[in-house]
Amino acid sequence: MAREPEFKAPSFTERIKGMLGVDLYRLFHTPMFYIFLAIAAIIPAMISAMTMMPAPDGTTSVPLYSNMWQIIAASKSLYVIEGIADYANMNMVFIFGGIMVSIFIGHDYKSGYVKQLFTTHAKKQDYMISKTLVCAFAMACMCITYLIGGVVGGLFAGYETDVNIGSLIVAILGKMVMSFGWASLYTFLNVIFRRYFGVSIVSSFFFGTGILIIGVAAIVENLSVPTFFLNIFLYGSSVNANLSSNIGALLICVIVSAAWTVFYNVLGTKLLSKSDVY
Amino acid sequence: MNAIEIRDLSKSFRSMYAVDHLNMTVPVGSIYGFIGENGSGKSTTMKLLCGHLVPDEGTISLFGKDYTDAGVRVRVGALIENAGCFPNSSVYQNLRMQTINLGLENPDEEIERVLKIVRMEDSANIKFKSCSLGMKQRIGIAMALLGEPALLILDEPINGLDTDGMRIMREILVDITKNYGCTVLISSHILGELEKIATHYGVIRQGRMIMEISAEEMDARAQVFVSLKTKDMSGAKAVLAEKYADVRIDGDYIRVYDVENTAEIVDVLMKNDHVVSELKKNKIGLEEYYIELMSQKEDA
Repeated sequence: MAREPEFKAPSFTERIKGMLGVDLYRLFHTPMFYIFLAIAAIIPAMISAMTMMPAPDGTTSVPLYSNMWQIIAASKSLYVIEGIADYANMNMVFIFGGIMVSIFIGHDYKSGYVKQLFTTHAKKQDYMISKTLVCAFAMACMCITYLIGGVVGGLFAGYETDVNIGSLIVAILGKMVMSFGWASLYTFLNVIFRRYFGVSIVSSFFFGTGILIIGVAAIVENLSVPTFFLNIFLYGSSVNANLSSNIGALLICVIVSAAWTVFYNVLGTKLLSKSDVY
Repeated sequence: MNAIEIRDLSKSFRSMYAVDHLNMTVPVGSIYGFIGENGSGKSTTMKLLCGHLVPDEGTISLFGKDYTDAGVRVRVGALIENAGCFPNSSVYQNLRMQTINLGLENPDEEIERVLKIVRMEDSANIKFKSCSLGMKQRIGIAMALLGEPALLILDEPINGLDTDGMRIMREILVDITKNYGCTVLISSHILGELEKIATHYGVIRQGRMIMEISAEEMDARAQVFVSLKTKDMSGAKAVLAEKYADVRIDGDYIRVYDVENTAEIVDVLMKNDHVVSELKKNKIGLEEYYIELMSQKEDA
């Protein structure tokens, strides 16, 4: 008679450690991550060093920004875009990040590796948590390279560098914290559209631009309603972390990001548990 | 305790049953040959076992526990449809990821061990996309073998392999069941190969299990027959049909079923001026048994 095998259920930590380990290994061993880090550095450098806006008289050009740190964050909470400079800051990392997450998760399915993960991990939450954490980490790293690229480009362009250091730190940390919320949204979107790689990328890009919140903000402003409630959304909080923020803005980022991360993870786990995964 | 116990399992796609109230029992330590036509529900059953699909109804137990038990599932290795490897990563990197996923303590030793089992010790640094089909299948087996699984689920692992590849795969499967106490659930259309290793069989048709049988029972049930060749086949058949109950012409041969005494057959034919040019004693193989079983069910 064959010997009976013994089974020891892995703890939550052991399970997450395993899946997280795989995702981090993949992240560091594929060129995609480094390409996105480079993109995050090159784009702000190029925008700040090379982009000129036509002056109101139409005959001359003026620089896009007046201060180097506007490449990192807007001067104030601008939910509605007044100019491209209000939009072209570290928030763009969340757009690049969305595309990166789509490719990262898309490869799981395209290669079939996801079968190995779901065979050995009965708990679907492992997948959601691991992908969210790794993609958030990747986006946070992109924030850092964006900062470096922006500073180099800004210095090269000769912008002013005066800034409230405290607000700058709050803005940078706030956006890095928001990476978790954004990563959970993209993971969720990619779980929904897991069979359609193109749709995943388009949806990630669409939500990453924050166009929905910008649209809502435009309506709200026209109605003269206070816009602070927009901070409960990922894009709103991301915009709220700016060069005039205080520690309260960072706190909002932490709460909003954590809340959305939990929300999307629970939703994604439910979806994966109740539907065919491959 | 059984390695797999499935009761009343159903799964439908767009209201068409792919698996229809299936019952299945796979004993611990067995090599269970899962046989059926294309679209009969083999792959769907295997995907259900691995948790890739959600069943509509029914229960699945693995080693006496629910199939969603994390402790059991971490000891399930699977090769379903393809190896599930990243094409641009090397064989080593793909295996390394799986060792991390499983939390194995000595990853390099473990990778070396499984590569040795699948006879691919020298291929660790090759990119997965550069491997041949046979190599990819073996890498898939290696992935499934990491962490000493208690249950291996293999969907058509010998498809596309050459004769040597099939032999290697056969040896691997026998080796892991004997030496590691692993239970193997394997589906294949190449029944001749399956017959050489399987200890149990399950035949599925239109999502339903139509027969489960051990190799021993199958052997006991298998009909013995004598096949022979003569110049005048129809004349010889007519002579033999007078004495024996089941005589058939199968291609170039006459088959006389349920007969032990070959000398008696030769004697009967010689007395009627039929010269036997070739004669051999056979047993019905899995393939013939399966075909006959399927045709019976079709008639029914």
